[in-house]
Parts: sequence; structure tokens; C-alpha cells
Amino acid sequence: MNRLILKYAYPLTAVILVVFAWVVYQRIAQGWGQVVVLGVAALVVWLLVTPAFIYFWPRITVNGYKRAILKRGFGDGPIPVNTLYAAPTTSSPSVGTGSLLATGTNDVLYIGGWLDLREGPQVLHVPDTAGRYYSLQFTSPSDSANFAYVGKRTTGTGAGEFLLIGPRWKGQVPNGMRLISSPSNSALVIGRVFVESEADLPAAYALARRIQLSPLNRQ
Amino acid sequence: MGGFFTWLAHSGVVQGVIIGATLAFLTAIFIMNSVAKRLTTTVNGWKAIPLCGRPGNGVLVRAACAKALPAVNVFEEAAYWTTTVDGSGQTLTGRNAYLMRVPPGQFPPNDAFWSLTVTDPVGYMVPNPIGRSSFDDRSDLVKNADGSVDIHLQTSAPIGREQNWLPIPAGKFKLMLRAYLPSEEILEGRYRVPEVTRLQ
Repeated sequence: MNRLILKYAYPLTAVILVVFAWVVYQRIAQGWGQVVVLGVAALVVWLLVTPAFIYFWPRITVNGYKRAILKRGFGDGPIPVNTLYAAPTTSSPSVGTGSLLATGTNDVLYIGGWLDLREGPQVLHVPDTAGRYYSLQFTSPSDSANFAYVGKRTTGTGAGEFLLIGPRWKGQVPNGMRLISSPSNSALVIGRVFVESEADLPAAYALARRIQLSPLNRQ
Repeated sequence: MGGFFTWLAHSGVVQGVIIGATLAFLTAIFIMNSVAKRLTTTVNGWKAIPLCGRPGNGVLVRAACAKALPAVNVFEEAAYWTTTVDGSGQTLTGRNAYLMRVPPGQFPPNDAFWSLTVTDPVGYMVPNPIGRSSFDDRSDLVKNADGSVDIHLQTSAPIGREQNWLPIPAGKFKLMLRAYLPSEEILEGRYRVPEVTRLQ
């Protein structure tokens, strides 16, 4: 469906504009007075809603990922909140067009999850990847900015634990954990684990599966 | 009350709201696309938006980024370049054959990996007879005598150069080049992605 909308965006827009023009024309045909209310309403809504769309667009986009993760997952069914799901295969032409993986690369295994910190902090566990490239990107739904990264570039490839907290949490960070503060109580998590070759896939997948979340209060 | 609804139905308010909201949507899309265009750096037809994904971007920039490259990595994590045109600005299509000649050492410098992927204009990989949709730094590419590498982008196999053949779909297509953990040369804008040349 998305694909069709993307592919036929211009003709679809043209059709919609023609329909609007016809509606306005019908009103004008009944007399110019008939079009004043319509015009004023359209102008007011246009002026108010245009900035609203722009302001909320990042949120709309990230929430699209949220819905996709929580309702559909990566083809293996819905992914519950605070769960990191590792896709067992890389992107390929055979991946369904509705899938989150469809526009990805075949050099990485993707990990996806939706963080909900309302019930308390989560602990992120990462294994030692022995120099293998990986990254976890934490994206805020409010502005679609990546407020934190875990992985080779930012935290190295050693094993570790990270405490993920929401804006209102107060408490002691347990020993040995590094702190990641999320600007809001929810966040999109996208992970990528490098896959060298077809033969390397099982090793990469085993590592990807060991990147996990657990609630702090059940440590 | 009944009078109000009758007025609502006949006055044109409902039609006005629908028209206004739709035009607002289209205007927002237009503005975001324009801003994204302004933020885009283009080299040899290859486009990148290095600013996206960072915290602290303004309302317009983050909207434009969310529209153009939703949930994209920050540039220092992964540099992405895409193109739907060749070096002379003509739309890429499977009706032509193309050559991407990469001078010695001019694949994107990085500390992780690079890859070059062929997709349809939306971004989906397209099946092809040899099941190859991308080249990367592990690909066994044949070098020319001067150390440069020719990547052949065409629908049918280039005779004798099959190893460097990246099949393209029959219609329009898009190329995506990624460099994970890009080097300073890329981050400082000194790296130039080699151009895709149409073969006569």
C-alpha cells in the first residue's frame, strides 16, 4: 500500500486537486456567495494545520516504526515492548515489501525494539563482539533525533551493561553500569550487527540475539 | 441544533476543512522536501544529508530529515549516499548500461565496511538472475592495470567482466552507497563519490 502511494504520489495528488477544483467550481456555479465560507474555512485550516504537520512529522514517522514493531515485527510476529528482536537474515530481494527490512542492507543483521520506561529503567546487555562492528541507535519519538548510541564507535565492542532511564527516574546507578538518559519515556531502538559473509551469518546472529533488555527491578 | 447541522452540511465548511487539511498536508510535504533539498550535498549526482539524526536540529530540519531519511543513522555512524541520476544528471534506467569507475583507493574510506546496493526507485532490492544486489568491501572485484575498479551496471552480463557486474532492473533504479564508521575524509567532505557514467 505504502509502495503504491509512493509510486503514484503525483497522479494521486493530481486527481485529488482536480476533485477539489470541481467542488469549488460547482459552488461558484451556484453563485460567488456560496464559496466564501468554504474559502475561509479552507484558509484557516490550511494556515493552522501546515505548521502542525511539520512540527509533528518526526513524531509521526517514529510512531510509524513503533506501530510496525509492536504490531507486525520483522516478519516473525509482533515484538513486545522492551524486547530487542534480532532478525535471523539480512535484507534481500525476497523480503516482503511491507517489512521493515525491505530497504535495508545485506551487510548487517537488524535488531529492532520499542523502549517503554514508564514502569522503570531497563538494563541493556551487550556481549563482547571481539571487534565486530555493531551499533544500537536510540531514537527519540519527539524529534526523531538519535540521543544515544551503543556500539563500536561510541562504547567499544567489549561486553557491558547500560542503564536506560526515563526523564523522571531518580536512583542509584548500579555498579558497573553506564547510564543512558532518554529524553522521554519511550524510544525507538535500531540495532545493526555486521555480517561478513553467508558463512558468518550464524556467528553474527548468535551475537545479535545476546543484545538484550531486562527490567532493572528484576536484576 | 438541527439548523446548525443543516448549515454545516450546506455552507461549505466541511468541504473547506477537507480541502484546507489536504492542502496543508501537501504544503507540509512540499516545504519538507524543499528544506531537505537545501540540506542535501550533491557530488557527481550522489546525494547525502550529513546533518540528519543529530539532537538539536531545528523544527524544519528534523521534519525534513524525518521525511527524507526516516530514523537514519547520524553521519559519523554511517554515511549514506543515494543517486537516481548518472554523472551528467540523466535519470538512471535499465535501458542504458553504466560504468562506475572507482579510482585506486577511492572506495569510501571507513573503519567498518562499505557497500553499494541497487534498488528500485523506492528502495527495494529487485530480484535478478545471479542473485546479486550489491557489492561491498568483501566482494572479489577485478582491478584494472592502474588499480582502478570498474563496476558494470547493466541488465545483461558484460562479457568477460561478469565478476564486476552489478545487475540493474529493466526500469528506473536507485543506487545506494553506504560507509559505516566513515573516516575523517568523508566527515570533512573531502571524499568524492565516483560518478556513474552512461555507456554509449
